[in-house]
Amino acid sequence: MILIIGGAYQGKLDFAKNAFDITDADVHTCGTGEIDFSKRCIYKIEEFTYGHPDPIGYFQTHREQWQDSILILQDIFCGVVPMGAETRAWRQKTGRLAQYLSKEATQVSRIFCGLEQRLK
Amino acid sequence: MTYFISGGAKNGKSTLAQDLTVTLSKGGKHYYVATMISTGSEDDDRIRRHIADRDGMGFETVECFRNIMDCLETADQEGVFLVDSVTALIQNSLFPVEKNYEMDLEAAHRCADELVEFAHTVRHAVFVSDYIYSDAEKYSENTEMYRKCLADIDRRLAKVCGTVIEVSAGQPIIHKGDLCI
Repeated sequence: MILIIGGAYQGKLDFAKNAFDITDADVHTCGTGEIDFSKRCIYKIEEFTYGHPDPIGYFQTHREQWQDSILILQDIFCGVVPMGAETRAWRQKTGRLAQYLSKEATQVSRIFCGLEQRLK
Repeated sequence: MTYFISGGAKNGKSTLAQDLTVTLSKGGKHYYVATMISTGSEDDDRIRRHIADRDGMGFETVECFRNIMDCLETADQEGVFLVDSVTALIQNSLFPVEKNYEMDLEAAHRCADELVEFAHTVRHAVFVSDYIYSDAEKYSENTEMYRKCLADIDRRLAKVCGTVIEVSAGQPIIHKGDLCI
């Protein structure tokens, strides 16, 4: 599995498309519902974590299904601790999931202003 | 040579950019493109601090609040230009003070296009921007548009500039090219 992280609007999906020959048809864009792991690329995982009580548990349950996937997750971890409890929980869940996925990944790329920084 | 520098607030971007500009100038002409429109005493203080920081470094100041190509009406394009900051230029264009900060997307796009043209036109330029993309805040539609516009021009400049540097706690992280100092 390849994990791509980076801030908002940094070009994470564009990078995935160019580097791994992905088209829109290969991309599942997450919402709060189930993730379609049949797609090669899972995008906006931070949208999934917003509505899910246990994102790590969910990914562990489906572990076999994303071993060859490209996972894209927005870095929302900097900035002031959010005032709202829901946003605070979202940031924590997303951060912990990022750490879990990063451990599992064979490659971790951070995208900064459209450029790749290889973290793993 | 063209450089694009970004990173968090108060991490040393401007200091690095100033040193880099002076080095690139090799004693020749170097310009500080002043981009900030003061909105009160807090801004006046900041501008005074920045002027004091540059004291003795030999910069000529060129005021430019929106369209960067205007600089070349007075400045020599063979000089070295420090554009600090891209953030201010986009902000001034997208939310014009004269129009009571009403959003002007077209002006922001023109500002971005001119920045790319400027990078292609002048001999040496150092662009400074701000990395404001990694928090969990849910912003208003206008603020989100501002972040998107700034990210778009950041990515375009990162593509055309020879060197791209992220500054963290005063330390440069080179994403592309070389740091000549």
